[in-house]
Amino acid sequence: MKKRFARIMALSMAAVMTASLAACGGGGGDSSGDGDGGSGSDSDGKKEITYWNIGVESPDKDVITKAVEKFNSETESGYTVTSVPTQNDTYKEKLVVAMSSGECPDMYSCWSGGPMYEYIDSGFGQPIDDLFNASDIKDKLMGSAVGQASYNGHIYAVPYQNVSMSGIFYNKEMFEKFKLKEPETLADLEAICDTLKKNDITPFALANSSKWTGSMYYMNLAARYGGLEPFQKAVAGEGKFTDECFIKAGEKIQEWVEAGYFPDGVNSLSEDDGQAKQLMYQETAGMLLCGSWYTGTFATDSAEFYEKIGWFPFPAIEECDVDPSIMIGTVGDQFIVFNCEGEKLKAAFECAEAHLSDEVIDFEVENGKIPPIVGIEDKLTDSVTKEVVEAANNASEIQLWYDQYLPPAVATAHLDGLQEVFGLTKTPQEAQEAMQKAMDDYLANKAE
Amino acid sequence: MNGTEISLEKLRQRDTRRVAALFLAPVAILMAVYIIYPIVDTFITSTYQWNGISAAKKFIGVNNWKTLIADSSFWIAFRNNFVIMVLSICIQIPIGLALATFLDFGGKRLTVFKVIWFIPLLMSSVAIGFLFTYALATNGGLVSTISGWFGGGNVDLLGNPKTALLTVIAVICWQFTPFYMVYFMAAFTNIPYDVFEAARIDGATRGQYFWKIAFPLLVPSMKSAAILSMVGSLKYFDLIYVMTGGGPGTSTELMATYMYKQSFSTFNMGYGSAVAGGMFILISMVSLITMKILNGKEEA
Repeated sequence: MKKRFARIMALSMAAVMTASLAACGGGGGDSSGDGDGGSGSDSDGKKEITYWNIGVESPDKDVITKAVEKFNSETESGYTVTSVPTQNDTYKEKLVVAMSSGECPDMYSCWSGGPMYEYIDSGFGQPIDDLFNASDIKDKLMGSAVGQASYNGHIYAVPYQNVSMSGIFYNKEMFEKFKLKEPETLADLEAICDTLKKNDITPFALANSSKWTGSMYYMNLAARYGGLEPFQKAVAGEGKFTDECFIKAGEKIQEWVEAGYFPDGVNSLSEDDGQAKQLMYQETAGMLLCGSWYTGTFATDSAEFYEKIGWFPFPAIEECDVDPSIMIGTVGDQFIVFNCEGEKLKAAFECAEAHLSDEVIDFEVENGKIPPIVGIEDKLTDSVTKEVVEAANNASEIQLWYDQYLPPAVATAHLDGLQEVFGLTKTPQEAQEAMQKAMDDYLANKAE
Repeated sequence: MNGTEISLEKLRQRDTRRVAALFLAPVAILMAVYIIYPIVDTFITSTYQWNGISAAKKFIGVNNWKTLIADSSFWIAFRNNFVIMVLSICIQIPIGLALATFLDFGGKRLTVFKVIWFIPLLMSSVAIGFLFTYALATNGGLVSTISGWFGGGNVDLLGNPKTALLTVIAVICWQFTPFYMVYFMAAFTNIPYDVFEAARIDGATRGQYFWKIAFPLLVPSMKSAAILSMVGSLKYFDLIYVMTGGGPGTSTELMATYMYKQSFSTFNMGYGSAVAGGMFILISMVSLITMKILNGKEEA
C-alpha cells in the first residue's frame, strides 16, 4: 500500500510538472523579471532608457555599442541609454514575455512586419511622426525604408541596419567553366540549371528545414508571375491567396523539385547549421537564392571564396507582363520601436538618430552592412553589394518577406504548407487554401 | 506518572507537526508559486482571446476549448505523441531491461559497457538533436555516406514526412534507453542475493532464474518505468524542436511544439493556453487510466 501511494505521488508529481512546463509557455507571468529586464516605463528619477536589441555578436554588437556610446557622451537630454542585447533566437519570445508582464523596454529593435504591427496594436509602440519630420534623418533615409517602418499611415520605427534584397548568388568560376551567363529570363535560368544538373552539380543550394529559406523562391516566383497586387489584395482581404500567380509559383517549385534542381533531402537540411552555404563552399551547388546578408556571411567565412561570387536579381518571366524590377527584401532589417513618451521618447529618438550618424554609418559600411541611406552606393566599394543597392534603388516596389510581413498565424500556415509543397506531399492548391483559411480566420478575428 | 507520559507524547506530536510544517513550508511555497499558480493561470488565460502582450484581453468563455476540440492539428499532434508513447514503451523498456540483465549477470567485468551505454543520457537534448541532424543529413551525413558505399543514394530520413517521426523516435529511444537500463539495474540490486543462491541450489539455470524469479520481482519496477516513459513521451518537446521544428509540414508536430507555436510564434496566447490545458487533461487522463489498469491487475 505504501508503495502504491509512493507511485501515485510520483505520478501526480510527473503530471504536475508537465502542466507547469505547459504553463511556463501558457501563463508565463514571472519569468522575465530576472534583473536584466527592462526598468519599466515609469522613470524613477534615474533617467535611464532601456534598449533591447539582438547585437550579441560583432559587427552588430559594435555598431550598436558605438551608436549608444555616441548618444550617452553627447546628449543634453540627461538620459542614459542602457543596451541589453539578446541572442536572436530567443529574442522574440523574451520580448513577448516582457510585454505581457509589463516590463517592456523603452526602445527595442525588431524586424518590422506582422509582429511589429502586433506590438503597436497592443500599445507597445508610439508613433514618431512629429519627431521624424523635424529630424534630418527624414531626408537621409530611403523612402522604401520609411515605408517599411510605417503602419496605418504613421511612422513608428527607425530603420538602421541593413538593406537586404533577395537575389541569386552564383559561382562565377563555375559559370565560366560551363560557358553560362547571367540569365535575363526564367527560361534562361532553367537552361542554366539543366546545364549544371548535367554536370552533376546541384543548381540551387537550399536548406529548407528552416522553412523561410524555401519561401524566398516562392515569393520571387509569385512576384514575377503576378506582381505584388495579388499579394496586397489578399492581405487586405480583397483577394485570395489562391490567385493564379501563387498557384503557378508553387507548381514551378514542384517542377524544379522533380527536375532535381534542389539538393536531396532539401526539407531536412538546416540553414542554421549552414548546410546551404556548405554546398556552395564544396562547389557541389552552383547558385543560392537568399537575402543579400549572405555577402557578409561569404566574406567572413572566406574572403577568397567571396571573390568567386556573383549576384543577379531574380529574372523576369517572358510571357508575364509584370514589372521585373519589383524586389523582395527588407530595407533596414532592424527597426527601432519606441515604448515611451514625452521627454523620454525624445531622448530615445535621439539615440536612434545616433544609429544613423555619419560615423556609425561609415562603420557599418566598413563591416559589410548597407544602411538604408540615400546615396549609400557611393560609399560602397564591393561590387556585389553595389549591385544589390542598385537593384533596390531601381525597384518600383519592395515587398517585405512574407513570413515577416504577414500576421504571424498566416505566416506559419504559409511556411508549413510551402515546406510540404517542396516535399511533394501537398499540392500548391492545398497549401494555398490552408494559407487563405488562416488569413480568413485572422480577418474574421480582427473584425470582431 | 501516566498523565505525564501522555502529555509528553502529545507535546512530542505537536512538536513534530510544527517541525514538519516548518520544513515543508519552503517546498510548499515554491510549488504554489511555480506549479500551482501557473496551472490555474493557464486555465484562466485559456478563456480569453489574447495575443499575449496586449493589455486588452477579451473574455470568450469556452470558445478556445471548442476550437481545440475541433482542431485537427491538435489531434494529429496528440496522435504523434501517442505513437511516440507506445513505441517508446515497447522499445526502451525491453532494451533497457535486456542491457540491465546483461550487466547484472556479467558483474564487474562489464563496467566499461555500463559507462559507454550510459553516455547518451548525459548529453543534453539539444546537443543530441544537433548530433543526429548532422548524422542524418543528406549532405555528407553518416547514414547517407554509408548508403553511398553500397551504391545507394542519399537517404533522407528527416525530410520525408513518412519517416521523420519514426526517425525522431529512434533518436529518443537512443537517448532514454540508458535511463531504463540504470533504473532496472537498481531494481536488480533490490533482489536479495539469497534469492539467487536459493534458486541456483535448487538447480535453476540462469535463464530459468531470470524468467521465473527475477522477472516477476521486477514487474513493479517495470510498471513505474512504463508510467514514467508514458508521461515523458506525452510532454515531449526539446528534441523535436531542435531536429525538425515539427516539420516537414506538420508530420512531427507534438502537442508541446504546437502549444509553443500557438503561444509565441503566432501570438495566440489564449489558444496556446487552451492547448496547454488540453495537454494537462489528456496526460492526466491517460496516466490515471493506465494506473488503474496496472494496479487492478496487481490486486486481482
